Amino acid sequence: MTDHRGSSFWVWAQLAPALLVLVVLFGGALGLGVAQALGFAPWFGVNTFPDTRHFAALWSDAAFWQSLGLTLYYAVVSTALSLVFGVALALALQRAFPGKGLYKYIYKLPLMIPYTVGIALAVLMLGNGGMVSRGLAFVGLINDPGQFPQILKTHAGWGIIAVYVWKQTPFVTLTVYAVLLGLGRETAEAAAVLGARRRQIFCYVILPQILPAIVSSSLIILAFNIGAFEAPFILGGGYPETLPVVAWRYFNDADYSLQLRGMAVVVSIAVMSGVVLFGYLVAYRRYERRMGRG
Amino acid sequence: MMLHCRKLYLWLVGMLILGPFVPLIIQSLAFRWAWPDLLPSIWWVEQRENSRLPLAWDYVISPYSRVWEATLNTVFIGLSVTLIALVICLPAARVLARENFRGKAAFEFFLAMPLIVPEAAIGMSLLMIFIKLGLAGSYLGVIVVHLIPTLPYMIRMLTAVYQGLGREFEEQAMVLGASRGQVLRLVTLPMLMPGVIAGTLFTFLVSSNIFLLTFFMGQGQIVTLPTLLFSKISGGTLDATAAGIALVVTLPGIVLLLITERFINEEAFGKGFGS
Repeated sequence: MTDHRGSSFWVWAQLAPALLVLVVLFGGALGLGVAQALGFAPWFGVNTFPDTRHFAALWSDAAFWQSLGLTLYYAVVSTALSLVFGVALALALQRAFPGKGLYKYIYKLPLMIPYTVGIALAVLMLGNGGMVSRGLAFVGLINDPGQFPQILKTHAGWGIIAVYVWKQTPFVTLTVYAVLLGLGRETAEAAAVLGARRRQIFCYVILPQILPAIVSSSLIILAFNIGAFEAPFILGGGYPETLPVVAWRYFNDADYSLQLRGMAVVVSIAVMSGVVLFGYLVAYRRYERRMGRG
Repeated sequence: MMLHCRKLYLWLVGMLILGPFVPLIIQSLAFRWAWPDLLPSIWWVEQRENSRLPLAWDYVISPYSRVWEATLNTVFIGLSVTLIALVICLPAARVLARENFRGKAAFEFFLAMPLIVPEAAIGMSLLMIFIKLGLAGSYLGVIVVHLIPTLPYMIRMLTAVYQGLGREFEEQAMVLGASRGQVLRLVTLPMLMPGVIAGTLFTFLVSSNIFLLTFFMGQGQIVTLPTLLFSKISGGTLDATAAGIALVVTLPGIVLLLITERFINEEAFGKGFGS
């Protein structure tokens, strides 16, 4: 056998297909997005590259900043809730209980189905004519659908958040549970033997070990939530809307300069998401260093 | 006390996950279900003979609903994406699991990027060039963009398998006189199989759940299950046919859940970023 180890040509040759697809498609998308937002649109017969007009118009609009705040609010709140519920579920799954085999199928169901199904379920359960509203009527708390506190289509966004949390809690659980499985219960039991309380065991023994899994899963869902379109489109409270929906509206405008402004929105989403995620990672790395790891 | 809390929580989560499907099934069978009735006053089958147009499930399984078309499209696109991703990722995963080379950390970081850049940014940025190239509204266009979010998962899962495989088994076979072809056929492939199946299933799952990229690149001409359901519920209401379609859209997930549970290596998710 010829030994290829260390031959960097051979290494990169094997990486090439994946690298090529990612660079061309993904890198190309990023490059094109920025170029278009800066006025590069030869297909409209327009090429004023580099032209910061679209960004200027967008960023000087107060509505943009409201949309940005709204986007971040939905994304952060639902990520935080998914983390809390997901980690709690992973911890609860650690011990044996009757029906655990079946339960491990059930809890993963939301992970396997599209967001649109989650949205359909939210409409059915949380709408003013929905099942929760009917339940309240059944026990006599309300006698008209109008009396039901509006959950969907408000800027508080509880419908959107409910869909995200419903869909993403299992993802956090899956990620964290995988790590818990690998850890075994020995360290926690050792701490218990040494007299640590439940709280202490969680904070000082379990949490530091599952933290990388928590961080990586929350990065993924946070990024997804920032860029998500369908839930805020259907369940959102109208103007001001979240950034992906704003981008979509601009993008479908017949006016090409608004289409380019849509691209500026898209680039802003990517930049904001990058800044938020990077900040999160830096904070985490700093914590790791303080703990004497990494 | 603690034990009861845990049980209660498990129950609650289970109920919240499965519970909403009960009214969804009922809604798909309802003809008239006014507020505040807890059950429909008129069921779909009762009205079946009175209507000339297909109702509820009759509509869902009829060609008018495009459910069959969307299902076939979803499966076809999912299979194509999975196959391409597998071919592209196998060599890369092998190298990532076994070799140390300059730029490895950077490459791994770059691999994770598609997971953390919003889909909206990718889809809209590519749309114009895809229209220009005639890829928008074509199967090829949809399949190509689906590669972006699926490749990182496929590579991660395959890398995990290769790491578990080790080089020793292959070297043993070589020492015992096996040819390269025999090693591949009799040693490497059988040992890789569980991981390949897991990666394949998961990639198919991710692809079949993608909405936004299909929505942009499909241009309304290529309908998949998520986009079909979106067009049904985009008004914010859910009638019997939309409920039926939502149930159909759920089915592939249930099938995949039943088969993946045996294969999905949960470790692949537990890996941190850049590690």
